Amino acid sequence: MITSIAHTTIYVLNQDEALDFYKNKLGFEVGDDMKVEGDFRWLTVYPKSNSQLQLVLAEPKEGPMFTKDSAEKIRSLIEEGAFGAGVFETENCQKTYEELVAKGVEFMQPPTEQLYGVEAMGIDNSGNWFSLVQR
Amino acid sequence: MATNYKFERLNAGRDYIADNYDAPLSLSGMATYSYMSPYHFLRVFKNTYGETPNEFLIRLRVEQAKKMLITENFSVSEICEKVGYTSLGSFSSLFLKQVGMAPTVYRRKLWALSAESYRFPSQAIPACYAYNFLGKSTN
Repeated sequence: MITSIAHTTIYVLNQDEALDFYKNKLGFEVGDDMKVEGDFRWLTVYPKSNSQLQLVLAEPKEGPMFTKDSAEKIRSLIEEGAFGAGVFETENCQKTYEELVAKGVEFMQPPTEQLYGVEAMGIDNSGNWFSLVQR
Repeated sequence: MATNYKFERLNAGRDYIADNYDAPLSLSGMATYSYMSPYHFLRVFKNTYGETPNEFLIRLRVEQAKKMLITENFSVSEICEKVGYTSLGSFSSLFLKQVGMAPTVYRRKLWALSAESYRFPSQAIPACYAYNFLGKSTN
């Protein structure tokens, strides 16, 4: 039986800039930030209240996984906003929305009543969409 | 769950721990930053984050020590001090408990695995990532 999800990947355009966004704007904590042989930077962040699920902030680069062409396509798709970063939960969507807007986070939809709760839709500094949901 | 206001106060205490993990910290000192009594801070922190303030502090210190053991050339005693412990014995015991091996063994093992000096070996990250980003197979 699978009991939980430990890591999931968010592709970002620049790890330094993504780290600044997720740490200093969204308030996440850094899990790992280490150089692995081959010049790969293993960078993870997580929300303070849940260290069990870590987001891997990875840059699509030419390598075993991507050809140069594929990496460029992925980067282009990120910039176009073709990917979603997932759903982040909050206890108070309106208040968190206001705090994040004050920090310069861009939102495409303000807090709105949905069937499953109050939801705002934001975008990270790479172009990944995320939902901010209060259930 | 904590209310939003209480969560903010808790975060202030948690941030204080994260920013000062390398200094001597007491429960009452940590609780001050959340405007709570030590016992109340301990209970709400555990309920909210799933670990006690001290468990969080130990986790931060051990993670930092692991990083320094691989990427720096400091002695274990120096690393012990740099992550906030005054007793090498206490640090070594905690490290052994958290990581499953002594600091010197951890360093020797990971240095032996890594093809590059002061870099983590690919075995330090989940194999699917090592395979996809580094082309490293576990076999």
